[in-house]
Amino acid sequence: MSVFQLAFIIFIITNPIGNCPAVIALIKDHGIKDQQRILLRESIFALILAIFFLVLGETFLSGLQIQNYALSMSGGVLVFLISLKMIFSIRSDDTIERPKQDPYIVPIATPLLSGAGLLTMIMLYSKQEQNDWKVFFAILIAWIGVTAVMVTAPYLQVILGKRGLAALEQLMGLFLAMMAVGMMVKGASLFLIALGIS
Amino acid sequence: MSLLSIAVVLFLIMDPFGNISSILSLTKDYDSKTQRRIILREMLIALTFMVAFNYLGEFIFYILELNETTVRISSGLVLFLIAIKILFTSPDSPRANLPKGEPFIFPIAIPLICGPGLMATIMLYAHMEPYQSIMILAILMAWVVSAAILYFANPIKNFLGTNGLMAAERLVGMVLILISIQRVMEGLMMFWNTHPHPT
Repeated sequence: MSVFQLAFIIFIITNPIGNCPAVIALIKDHGIKDQQRILLRESIFALILAIFFLVLGETFLSGLQIQNYALSMSGGVLVFLISLKMIFSIRSDDTIERPKQDPYIVPIATPLLSGAGLLTMIMLYSKQEQNDWKVFFAILIAWIGVTAVMVTAPYLQVILGKRGLAALEQLMGLFLAMMAVGMMVKGASLFLIALGIS
Repeated sequence: MSLLSIAVVLFLIMDPFGNISSILSLTKDYDSKTQRRIILREMLIALTFMVAFNYLGEFIFYILELNETTVRISSGLVLFLIAIKILFTSPDSPRANLPKGEPFIFPIAIPLICGPGLMATIMLYAHMEPYQSIMILAILMAWVVSAAILYFANPIKNFLGTNGLMAAERLVGMVLILISIQRVMEGLMMFWNTHPHPT
């Protein structure tokens, strides 16, 4: 596979365009400049995580004895909890000045961008390809694309307006819940294979 | 499990980076010398509890009629909830209202450093590991690193800044979620493999 093919696959798995509305809904309390700063920071964290897994993923997971089903299941559980928070977010105390939630690493950098799927893919490709640099550059190219999408995402807010965003948050909560259950089902089926049933 | 992986898991559950800010705020009324003395004392108390639990584990297994399956699932669940708390911090945590005065045993030694998650983990590993010496060595290794980190809590906090500390805390939280879910699922697997199957 060429570097660009790899980069394209990684870009698709990271799914920045699909994640855009959810990410915007998560950080809707901040101004646009702040949002761009947060998203840039989170993409950098996601890149660091991806490269960390490329280099040390195998050692890290086998050292802590974490199997692939647990990786998938953890991502699902985390995203599910976040989606519950989005769907049942309390609207009544909006007037009270409360500290703005700054999503640090969790949930945007991981598990939304560098989720279980991407991390296992990266580990897989680093095993398949003889040359780790190729995967590294593929990650880097994909990352540039992802970051470009992420940084332009806050302008969605301008189009949608405040009410639109609040409605979007509910909808995206639902979508996130579905994605989460998808990850959990994936984890469960891997678990069943490990059990030797199916 | 190898000595190193046991030590790493124990170190992650002790979560010294995540505890730096809460321990510093608990001891903020004291000068840095007293602070270090308190931290060292609390760390020693925590170590005593860890080692005690390592030897008492088998006894507790016997009294409460536990087996590896139950301990695996329960410790995994407790650890999962602790990790959730690390990831989704709430300002009004019950740890906010504390008895006044110098923190002695509660809340630094227990539960911040040697909490229920760590105790259950030590119990589980002590049960699984045939050689006690490996467990003791692993506990000591994890403890020495945590103690060093907490002893230099102030310079580390100045170096990493609040955001750096938060990043470290979040990453540890993520890894703890991974460990806890892995453990619960291993427990389920063990349950499946040991219970009598209807044929």
